[in-house]
Amino acid sequence: MSDLAIGILSFPALLGLIFLRVPIGLAMFVTGLVGLFLVTGDTIVPFARLKSESFTTFSSYSLSIIPMFLLMGQFATLGGMSQALFQAAAGFLGHRRGGMAMAAVGACAGFGAICGSSLAAAATMGRVALPELRRYGYAGGFSTATLAAGGTLGILIPPSVVLVIYAILTEQNIAKLFLAAVIPGVLAAFGYMAVIAVYVRLFPDAAGIRARVPWGERAVLLLRVWPVLAVFLLVVGGIYRGWFTPTEGAAVGALGTGIIAWAKGGLGWATLGESFRATGTSTAMIFFIVLGAAFYNGFLALTQVPQELALWVTTQGFSPLAVLVVVLVIYLILGCMMDSLSMILLTIPIFWPVIQELDFAMVTMAELHATRVAQALANGAVVPPDMLAQIQAALAEGTELTRDQLRALDIRGVSAGALARINTEQVAIWFGILVLIVVEVGLITPPVGMNLFIINAMDRDTPISETYRAVLFFVLSDLLRVALLLAFPIITLFFVS
Amino acid sequence: MHRFVLTLSQRMAWAGGAMLCLLISVTALSVLGRGMNGALQSETVQQAMPQLAAWLLSLGIGPVLGDYELVEAGIAFSIFAFLPLCQITGSHADVDLFTARWSPRANRWRQMITDIAFAVVLVLIAAQLAAGTASKMKTGQTTFLIQFPLWWAYALSLSGAAVAALVSLYVAALRVGEVMQGRSPDGPLS
Repeated sequence: MSDLAIGILSFPALLGLIFLRVPIGLAMFVTGLVGLFLVTGDTIVPFARLKSESFTTFSSYSLSIIPMFLLMGQFATLGGMSQALFQAAAGFLGHRRGGMAMAAVGACAGFGAICGSSLAAAATMGRVALPELRRYGYAGGFSTATLAAGGTLGILIPPSVVLVIYAILTEQNIAKLFLAAVIPGVLAAFGYMAVIAVYVRLFPDAAGIRARVPWGERAVLLLRVWPVLAVFLLVVGGIYRGWFTPTEGAAVGALGTGIIAWAKGGLGWATLGESFRATGTSTAMIFFIVLGAAFYNGFLALTQVPQELALWVTTQGFSPLAVLVVVLVIYLILGCMMDSLSMILLTIPIFWPVIQELDFAMVTMAELHATRVAQALANGAVVPPDMLAQIQAALAEGTELTRDQLRALDIRGVSAGALARINTEQVAIWFGILVLIVVEVGLITPPVGMNLFIINAMDRDTPISETYRAVLFFVLSDLLRVALLLAFPIITLFFVS
Repeated sequence: MHRFVLTLSQRMAWAGGAMLCLLISVTALSVLGRGMNGALQSETVQQAMPQLAAWLLSLGIGPVLGDYELVEAGIAFSIFAFLPLCQITGSHADVDLFTARWSPRANRWRQMITDIAFAVVLVLIAAQLAAGTASKMKTGQTTFLIQFPLWWAYALSLSGAAVAALVSLYVAALRVGEVMQGRSPDGPLS
């Protein structure tokens, strides 16, 4: 059997193991190990790799950001930040029809800004907001669906654990990806609020009314949210401004959040131990999948499957957009069965080479010239007036500049290679955010959306079927958003380019 | 026995968490030191209070030397130390869509085979990590900046990997017992 055949056959083998409920990390590890054995013919290579690979995979400086962010999320809850966020949002929105549910979404968005994981965000905000929603007469399924959907904001709004993994797999800049996720994340929050507004008009019995909160009290509630804002601005702003690396940002954020939690009396020995337990089990789970994926992808690269697949797709002459849509649909289907991180680790090494080879024409050479000319002129480049007029005429027509014109402006780095690099980066960011959203849709899609189970388990009176029915409205809003971002890449790339 | 294994796993997770906190502090301290170092060397400070700035700089205010290496060595230990707890509480991510309708008996067998495979893999990882530690010890490789021997970091991680292997063997034995006796406390063990 050829290496390529072994590589291709490893897919059904791996999926079979996963569907037999073998833990995903273990399934990838075993498939990779057996695959390496089959391809190389003996156990020397896989065993030799194991001598150092488990250590080097775990001792990654860039991946150390993950346990730090997880611990930060734990500390944020202990510091009462989730509570403060919900109360402030409820103060402003609670008296409207469906307002408490909107407040829950707003609080989830706020909590997402200091928490990098969907499940943690859903669980935390569920504990805080679900009893309140029920107390004010919100229908069971509507409440649980709202919180399950709101929880996905934990990963859409930066910082985000999944984006960190994506950035490492595709060798992209974490700070830029975080920044690109901001607008889609805010859009998601507003989309969910719009869904709530529509839902309570369709089903007026689903929501109760709460008394209006006076403005003075609202101001007090808003002031209590300052630690969240401070931590978010420090961490995400600091990473973006280049004050520190993403890992350093996570460390500063975790330390700051820990100090706030301690100062508010939420962090003692018992709660610290509980934070370690929760952070530890999530971290171990994530990193075992990372290790399994490293092994599996190492084997897959050896069989040349990703390269062959990319070559095949690009020589078929499919339209790039059609390929992208097919890939996103595959994620939607897989997302109904698997958690987002496993999916990213399993599929990005296969799909990214394909997407990378496609020409989405995000930036043309003429556009690149136009930006560089604007930069050069802003930096005080001087050119003869007649040449300047020619240059401006060329740019207005959307044509490329001549070599002489570029030399006169002292513009360098506009080769075909430079253009390709810029295009690859833009496609990587755009694709990353799209994938992030579709895998998150999986978290709230029946029958196995993880967030649905977590929230539903908190409310014993609500059958899961009611949650399923209500959540479909939120799924619809997610799909609309994906279509919007797909049609207008600039929404995602606005802050980046 | 069960209480002992559970306590051991929790203690390991504690150690991993403590290491994580240490790394967070070292990294944050390094950021602070770098920022202060930059501020002390800035023109304003150098002109306003040159002696004080020079004295503070001579104390060694600056980024922590080799913070990067410390994080890499420490975080590996943390993660290996978190593994036993994840193992005994059955917290690994899986897909239970298709097996949920199986009979309890079939699920007991499935769980036993899975956990035996897990034990084999974790023992293999620990054994190979031990071999890796030994070879790093022999070559005497050190880190770039602090120049501490790399095998220290390997050995530290090995402690976590070894406990994880032992815990996984215990869990596998437990599952074999369940299959033999035909009872199934399906789900987390804690």
